[in-house]
Amino acid sequence: MILYTIMPEHLIFQTDMDEYTKQKIVYYDGIPFIVQETETKEYEIVRNLSTNPFHFLEQKYAPGVRFPLSVVTS
Amino acid sequence: MEKERYIASESEEKQEPSKEEQVTTMIQQLGQTNIPQLTQDTNIHCLTIVGQIEGHIQLPPQNKATKYEHVIPQIVAIEQNPNIEGLLVILNTVGGDVEAGLAIAEMLASLSKPTVSIVLGGGHSIGVPIAVSCDYSFITETATMTIHPIRLTGLVIGVPQTFEYLDKMQERVVRFVTKHSKITEEKFKELMFSKGNLTRDIGTNVVGPDAVQYGLIDEVGGVAQAMQKLRELIDLNETKGEKIVQ
Repeated sequence: MILYTIMPEHLIFQTDMDEYTKQKIVYYDGIPFIVQETETKEYEIVRNLSTNPFHFLEQKYAPGVRFPLSVVTS
Repeated sequence: MEKERYIASESEEKQEPSKEEQVTTMIQQLGQTNIPQLTQDTNIHCLTIVGQIEGHIQLPPQNKATKYEHVIPQIVAIEQNPNIEGLLVILNTVGGDVEAGLAIAEMLASLSKPTVSIVLGGGHSIGVPIAVSCDYSFITETATMTIHPIRLTGLVIGVPQTFEYLDKMQERVVRFVTKHSKITEEKFKELMFSKGNLTRDIGTNVVGPDAVQYGLIDEVGGVAQAMQKLRELIDLNETKGEKIVQ
């Protein structure tokens, strides 16, 4: 099927609500992160939202790194 | 007995992974083994505007998006934190929601601290006002900016009202860009409505040096020039501040 339209894709093919709840913003060491919960009950970093460029040099704040749910502060 | 053994093995598992394991996971997840460890505090913060600019509708998580509810509190925090003296804004965006983009642009324009923006790959559509909102703007040689009229995505209904509404919205964008950059309204509108540059569409795709020539962006340059300019602006800001104190 080919669908020609000026409408954005996300308006036509609505994403399942579960997809939205997978990712959320948490604060870890005072730095905001977009995280995803893993099967092992940990958070995996998807994106570092900090504006401090030095936070990006820290290995433990890099995308893909996991940390336990308990260390999160709001 | 068996239960005891089970608990014992479980507690063993909870132990910290060995250094070798850590290195292996680093290679698997990041494709590298080590990143230099620095915990310095910095007086220059950096804000990245990447992917789509998300507006009132939340985009599915697979989209790379800049959300204004993330960016605006960060700008407020930067304004409040006395240790932060300057802000570098890095743009590589395809555009997105007009209202959200203008909100970010207005926040950056009203920041009291020196700001420098740098357009990397692209600063298209609503990325244009964000790029010009900073005190000084840079564009890399290969970066492009698409200037085009505001488009309808089907969310606004009613024909005459919609037309007027979109026209007003566009007017806001044009006014903001012409106020914050050296480009004239005539030239900006000419680029916006020109035909033949974008196949079957209205608008212009402006490449780095052309954007500077039109007065949209201040200078062609990369990260080194942007940082140098930002330090200059910080020094200027400091001397101005001292004068006021005396």
